[in-house]
Amino acid sequence: MRDGPVDAKTRDRVPLLRIAHLYPSLLNVAGDSGNVIVIERRAGWRGIATEIVPVEIGVSVDLASFDLIFLQGGQDIEMAVAARDLQGRAATLREAAGRGVVIFAVCAGLQLLGHRYIPQRGPAIEGIGLLDLETRGGNDRFMQHAACQVGFGEGTETIVGFENHSGLTELGPDVRPFGTVIAGAGNNGRDGTEGARRDNIYATYLHGPVLPKNPWLADYLIRIALERRIGGRVSLPDLDDSLEQSAHALALEVALRNRGRRTALEPARLGRA
Amino acid sequence: MRPRLEIALIAARAAGTLARRLGQGNGTSLPGVLARRIDPSVLSSLVREAGMPAVVITGSNGKTTTGRLITALLKAEGIDARSNAAGANLVQGVTTLAVSNADLHGRLPPGILVAEVDEGAMRQVVPELAPRIVLVVNLFRDQLDRYGELYAVSDAIESIARDLPSDAAWVVNADDPLVASLAPDRVGRRVTFGLDLDCSTDRLTRASDSIRCPRCRSDLEYEHVYLSHLGSYRCPGCGLRRPRLDVAVTALRVGASDTSLTVRIGSSELVLRVPQPGVHIAYDVAAALAVLVGLGISPVHAAEALAAVKPAFGRLETAEVGDRRIVLGFVKNPSSYNTTLRALGLAGEPRQLLVAASNTKVDGEDFAWLWDVDFESAAPRFEHVTVTGTRADDLANRLKYAGVDPGLISVIGPANRALDAAFAAIAPGGRLTILAGYTPTMELRRLMNQRGWVGPLRDA
Repeated sequence: MRDGPVDAKTRDRVPLLRIAHLYPSLLNVAGDSGNVIVIERRAGWRGIATEIVPVEIGVSVDLASFDLIFLQGGQDIEMAVAARDLQGRAATLREAAGRGVVIFAVCAGLQLLGHRYIPQRGPAIEGIGLLDLETRGGNDRFMQHAACQVGFGEGTETIVGFENHSGLTELGPDVRPFGTVIAGAGNNGRDGTEGARRDNIYATYLHGPVLPKNPWLADYLIRIALERRIGGRVSLPDLDDSLEQSAHALALEVALRNRGRRTALEPARLGRA
Repeated sequence: MRPRLEIALIAARAAGTLARRLGQGNGTSLPGVLARRIDPSVLSSLVREAGMPAVVITGSNGKTTTGRLITALLKAEGIDARSNAAGANLVQGVTTLAVSNADLHGRLPPGILVAEVDEGAMRQVVPELAPRIVLVVNLFRDQLDRYGELYAVSDAIESIARDLPSDAAWVVNADDPLVASLAPDRVGRRVTFGLDLDCSTDRLTRASDSIRCPRCRSDLEYEHVYLSHLGSYRCPGCGLRRPRLDVAVTALRVGASDTSLTVRIGSSELVLRVPQPGVHIAYDVAAALAVLVGLGISPVHAAEALAAVKPAFGRLETAEVGDRRIVLGFVKNPSSYNTTLRALGLAGEPRQLLVAASNTKVDGEDFAWLWDVDFESAAPRFEHVTVTGTRADDLANRLKYAGVDPGLISVIGPANRALDAAFAAIAPGGRLTILAGYTPTMELRRLMNQRGWVGPLRDA
């Protein structure tokens, strides 16, 4: 479609972006694989090749050798299965984070990067403690269009998505929030924080999936992953984002309209006891 | 009869007539809404006093088609069956079904009520309806924004199964691990159905839903995969197996426009043909026959009944308009979308496409699942795509990332303008495929009816 070099002179130096997609068939429930599709396409449209490696349970890989790692949303039961496997990857993930590999986590992914998830019933699910946060199972589920403002990058940007979680996350002193809630519940419906970030780790509760309707965020992740790989500044050529911007504007509009509500619809007719 | 019930029935009848005359949504839920406002217990009063046996159909995919098959099978055996055929499957729609079949004295005709019920409305509808049969067709991830998680849906259905009186029959898809293992300790009759073929007709993919053991969470081993996560399975961890099949499809051939199958019930065998293509149709047929088994009715006229069954509204319903053809497909989640795209792909379609997505109470708010639809495989065939509905922007963006050139995409919000533009773009002798969620399908079909392209919905 729009295959073209980043810059004719530097094309030869543009590396392959290696992406690890953790547990794509296990943590598959909320369409978050769309985030990976978006990174692949938006890199490709600029002539940047990508290699996407699905990492399923029990598959051995060196996570520190990647440029970008995705760990995204899943249901409670699948999350518990993923958590067991993730314990065995704690060392390589920690090494990846230490080397500045970009890690993008959504919902269950955010919870698993924290210290632990304590459900209302049953034993706690241990996370790997890469982010200083802890999550407790709540009584109600936040299911609604949501928006937050983020302050990383050059200025501030508005990020839109759809939240669907009952866990209540509290941030510790060693992480910053991913963003500040504009609409929706954020981490816990109480303190106005949304998600968490530290160094090159970005974690959010926003599904949607989030990257298709926030092309700025997708490009930001591509850019910082490339800059780390190259060791210098990268400037990505602009794309025609009119469809993406329309989707963004629509999502922001419904999020603002739903502000102050717990769910986008009538109270869930099937809430969990 | 209680005066309140009488007033409710009069009001419902007037509302139904008025709604039909105005052409507003064909009056599928308005009479029920009104009747319940006047008499909140109207549904239970009617069915309990009339003693009219009810069949409840729930689950993710195939409720409407299965309901039509059950109705056809019952009618062929001389039993009057009334169903909520237009897919109005919340409590208001089921109430409309009862009130619109009652006379003003609150009497229902002899026969059987066949009620399709949304998974989320089961808790409210089942106690009021006190059904003789509850059929669970399957559980795919569907409208997660409303139900939170698939397991929340199965938990809710399980609690309904436990509360069901033991003389009611529990009819389940044995090939769906989650459905087959619902309420294992329930006392009462259970009828199972499934496919028993000697080869797979599908393979496990990323979009497959419950492929872990519902008892011990180990990954299930499949001998054969028939459709998404439906198949013959066993658990290497705890030994859970697919239950024995009471109604089994033992041979299957899916044609371009029909499905031929052999079904084994006990020691008898039925050789059947249905004029709709797809492996999912085989499941719908098996489910419908299992309901008859549960009711104790022998389906002796099944072959004639099924050969004459017409597709449910929007299930690849075809309209001929001059020398052009319009095919209307109702899609609501990754599995129904993928099944429909795959069926159309056998004929090299769709090429001219009108797609619609709207956020409503019925269709949900969260359209993340569009990213689990395999548009990528179909995209190379698309020649032009018109996108409409209140979530047209989301859908258009998804198509762009599936590899559809944005130059081939027109986003037109209002459905009437989108329909006319898409129709005008069909070449003589060409074909337009419409794929849409529930609300836009209803709207587009009404617009097609206004243009004289299809009959009114109640005749579909």
